[in-house]
Amino acid sequence: MAPTTFRTKGNSSKSKSTTTTTTTTNTTVRDSPSGAFDRSTELKFGTTASISASTHVASAGQTATSRLNLAVYRYSTWLEENQLKKSAPWIAIAIAALVRWAVSLGPYSGMTTPPRYGDYEAQRHWMELTLHRPAREWYSDQSKWWDLDYPPLTAYVSWICGYVGDKINPEWFAWQSSRGFESLDAKLYMRTTVLVCELLVYFSAVVVFTDRWFANKAWTRKHTALLLILLQPGLILIDNGHFQYNAVMLGLVVWAVNCFLKDQDVLGSIFFCLALGFKQMALYFSPAVFAYLLGKSLRQGFFGCIWKLIKLGLAVILTLGALFAPWLQSQEEILQVVHRIFPVFRGLYQDKVANVWCAINVVIKLREMFEIQELVRFRKVQRTALCIHRLLDITLYTRRGLLYGLINSSLSFFLLSFQVHEKSILIPALPITLLILDEPAIASTFVTLATFTMFPLLKQEALTLPYYVLLGFWVWMTFGTCKNASTPLGLLAAVMISGLHLAETFVLPPAKYPDLYAVLNALWGTGGFALYWAYFNYRQFTMANTPKTGLKVTKTAKVA
Amino acid sequence: MASSYIPATSSQINHQAERGMQISLLVISTALKVLLFPTYHSTDFEVHRNWLAITYSLPISQWYLEKTSEWTLDYPPFFAWFEKLLSLFAAHIDPKIVQVDNLNYDTMATVYFQRTTVIISELVLFWALQRMLTVMGNRPLQKIISWSLMLNPGLLMVDNMHFQYNGFLYGILIHSLVDAKQGKLLRSGILFAALLNFKHIFLYIAPSYFAFLLRAYCFENSGNSIRARSWTSAFRPLHFLALGISVIAVFVASLGPFVAMNQLPQLAGRLFPFKRGLCHSYWAANFWALYSFMDRIMIILISKSPLGQYVNLSLDTSALSATTRGLVGDTAFGVLPTITAQHTLILTVLLQIPSLISVFRKPTFERFIGSVVLSAFASFLAGWHVHEKAILLCTVTMSVAIANRFGASFNSGSGASSDQKGLVLTPRDVRSFMIVSLAGYIGLWPLFFTRPETPIKVLITAIWFVIVGTGLDQCIPKGSSWSMEAGPSSTRSLLRHFTALERLYVLGCVPVQLYVNVGHEAVFGQDTLAFLPLMITSVYSAVGVVYGWLLYSAAYFSSSTALDKKKMR
Repeated sequence: MAPTTFRTKGNSSKSKSTTTTTTTTNTTVRDSPSGAFDRSTELKFGTTASISASTHVASAGQTATSRLNLAVYRYSTWLEENQLKKSAPWIAIAIAALVRWAVSLGPYSGMTTPPRYGDYEAQRHWMELTLHRPAREWYSDQSKWWDLDYPPLTAYVSWICGYVGDKINPEWFAWQSSRGFESLDAKLYMRTTVLVCELLVYFSAVVVFTDRWFANKAWTRKHTALLLILLQPGLILIDNGHFQYNAVMLGLVVWAVNCFLKDQDVLGSIFFCLALGFKQMALYFSPAVFAYLLGKSLRQGFFGCIWKLIKLGLAVILTLGALFAPWLQSQEEILQVVHRIFPVFRGLYQDKVANVWCAINVVIKLREMFEIQELVRFRKVQRTALCIHRLLDITLYTRRGLLYGLINSSLSFFLLSFQVHEKSILIPALPITLLILDEPAIASTFVTLATFTMFPLLKQEALTLPYYVLLGFWVWMTFGTCKNASTPLGLLAAVMISGLHLAETFVLPPAKYPDLYAVLNALWGTGGFALYWAYFNYRQFTMANTPKTGLKVTKTAKVA
Repeated sequence: MASSYIPATSSQINHQAERGMQISLLVISTALKVLLFPTYHSTDFEVHRNWLAITYSLPISQWYLEKTSEWTLDYPPFFAWFEKLLSLFAAHIDPKIVQVDNLNYDTMATVYFQRTTVIISELVLFWALQRMLTVMGNRPLQKIISWSLMLNPGLLMVDNMHFQYNGFLYGILIHSLVDAKQGKLLRSGILFAALLNFKHIFLYIAPSYFAFLLRAYCFENSGNSIRARSWTSAFRPLHFLALGISVIAVFVASLGPFVAMNQLPQLAGRLFPFKRGLCHSYWAANFWALYSFMDRIMIILISKSPLGQYVNLSLDTSALSATTRGLVGDTAFGVLPTITAQHTLILTVLLQIPSLISVFRKPTFERFIGSVVLSAFASFLAGWHVHEKAILLCTVTMSVAIANRFGASFNSGSGASSDQKGLVLTPRDVRSFMIVSLAGYIGLWPLFFTRPETPIKVLITAIWFVIVGTGLDQCIPKGSSWSMEAGPSSTRSLLRHFTALERLYVLGCVPVQLYVNVGHEAVFGQDTLAFLPLMITSVYSAVGVVYGWLLYSAAYFSSSTALDKKKMR
């Protein structure tokens, strides 16, 4: 029998790999601001990437080679070698759907916990409400049972889901009598609506995004990114475990980014308005989007700029107008809608929802305990002002600048608002996840930390099993990326996270501080996010100063 | 085998990459299995919980007598000991698990515990696959098989959802087969004897083991067939004694205590309940499914058509309603003659004999593994009261048979040299394997009649089919003289080697299963004609399994007779 043999690529290109690896780090950092790519660099990059899969041990951890030592990456290489490129996205979608469905077999938010239940009941109730009431009453319903406080697109989607569900079983969404209704079939139906929405909006958006973002790069890279993004644990746990429709809003944002990448700015802004119309949390992104479009317009010459701004303005006004059309007849009605969506205007603690949030929001508890909320708020207002100033910086009009801008603005918002819900970390996590292969170490650890901060919530809902599996799987999947990233810090984070989990499992908290672990979790999360915030701001700031990175790489690549 | 020069550093790197790949396999399969914890578990879960309780709380003398639960212990003693081992841990997790009268106890901790034991026990399968890789060559083909078995939809469905310990048992079987491949025949035989004492379903393939070990181990094996007069001189009494004594020792260790307690008849009655009918309540995809289906068709034809008045047949119309979900009992036939246990036994033996003769004439590992596959098929297709889960025996052994082949080598271009002719992976192998697997695993779907599990069973089967199908397809060596049947490789699709009819069958699964899983309930509602979807699935699967068996038999006998003729010349 012959000795173990491996693919030709692994053997023959071995000699090349040691020389080419040196360039890889630079290549990934490079982004040509004009969007034009140096073809030779890309080709070079393609080879480097495919080599690194089989020779991952060659370089001692400091180069990009080792971070492509991903099981996912090897799987993508295998797919490419086996002529599976065409069906690969479908397989990826099937795998991601399988994982999501397995998670959705578990319990959901507020399952069998009367009297108020949880997010699941809220969504179910909105389907009931939109199905049985005319649109003009949706936001003025005074039943004090999970008021509809999301923008109209959510209401429309709820109406569709309610309509279809009503055809299957009228009991699920019967007016008033279905409050707190729970059955296996109803759960199944609700879970299906989430998955279908995800498939239609989020999955498609991510497939197109990887297609456009990695347009000139090796196919395997593109596919690796697709799988990693689709298997991001935080979103799966919240949407398919806890029960929400975040992926719709996030998917619409990704669609907007997709359009911006193709310079279809009007279409992009329509998508962004739709995202805003689905969940007001998309506002976290709005400074970045605004700055990006403004920066781009400013480069069109005087009349070009005016014309572009008019087009964009019209697109925004018409989209929002269409979404809010049913309530535009009187000032009173539209104000009522706005008040519902932004409870801030009515004072934070008058609203029932806000109260529920207060009750279950450990972050708020933490702050009350330490009595520093005013201080935190003040400092963060300052920070955000600074951040927005930076976002308006000229650099933002590059495609990479756009993603960093999205990260910075959403992360600032997340750190700023004191009524923040831990789930909101999914919003900054989205653009960071999209950069998974551009900032592998940072992005993967950020996602880990973000998922970790949601642990108290998931624990409450008995979703610890999928939490551990998905988070562990994510850490393992991206492990190759962590190896080269400032190991002491990464190690410290890993030790603290796993230490906290171990302690929580085996050691009861002292009677005096029953929420000790949740508090530690939140503290740890806040500290970590602040560090990431600083890092991403630094990145955005320095990016503008090195516009010639692309050129540099070409030179080194040629030398190599 | 032609091999190119490999630099030392590169092979080191490859070695590390291989190890990384196997760790990946372990991580991925474990993560998926844990994620499947909350899925539906069948009564088999309670069966095994009850066995934990019996073996923990009762003395050995009571193990096969205890009948508080209807799920009495009906596996051989080694498996009971295995349960005893698990129960020691179970008692620490929750003492209520091991109480005999604590029926239908399935708290979350219990489920998590028992599901974890399945995952841990399947490390035996993982270990066996690692050995398979080192012995049969760690090439793309073998790697695909190891991934295919570790992430097998059949095993995932039966073990990690439905709840059984098959992965563990098939791990032992693969260990035994790998030993046979290595020429460690005595160990192979002992392992198989032990396996029989874990689960007696492996009796299905015992004839092949018997023929192979007798001929290969107990007779001089000179490579040529032995002439009649030299049989006695070729006999190796020491080997015969060694094998005989060790196998008997295994059985004594297992059954001895029960013989001593005079419980053997009781034990046999538990293990072989012949009171059950020809078919399980849901027909396994075998001959009898087709037979019963034909019977139903004929009843309808005769009773509905005017012909019925002239044909003087006493119709047993009760047969029509007898096969509905949940009714376990004798299968009645309306028109066709009734089948008895003796009939099935004779048919099974008849189907097994040709391959056994072939093994006995030339006891190579290739023939042995082929014969194991054919024995498994014979028992599955013609056996008495066969469970649909027994298809795993066919697909797992087929996987090992394929792993034993030479695939396309990516190094030298041609892959295998000419003396490995006949051992090379052919399109026919892949076709029969993929069709039997697909049909068999779809035949397992009715185990999960609960709706939440539908997407899972569909997705794992579909993903497996596409990835493994394409992977194997790419391993078929191309463009050489011995792959005449490879056909034009202009299309690169997964089904390019399949004939039109086979493609129709594979693609036909989609509309058929759409009807079974969604359409039927939408058209007829939940309760009318409830047996119809089950019957459709079972008949459709049976067609695929029988077809794949014919294809496999044709390949086996054509290659072995060709070699025989060559030797004669």
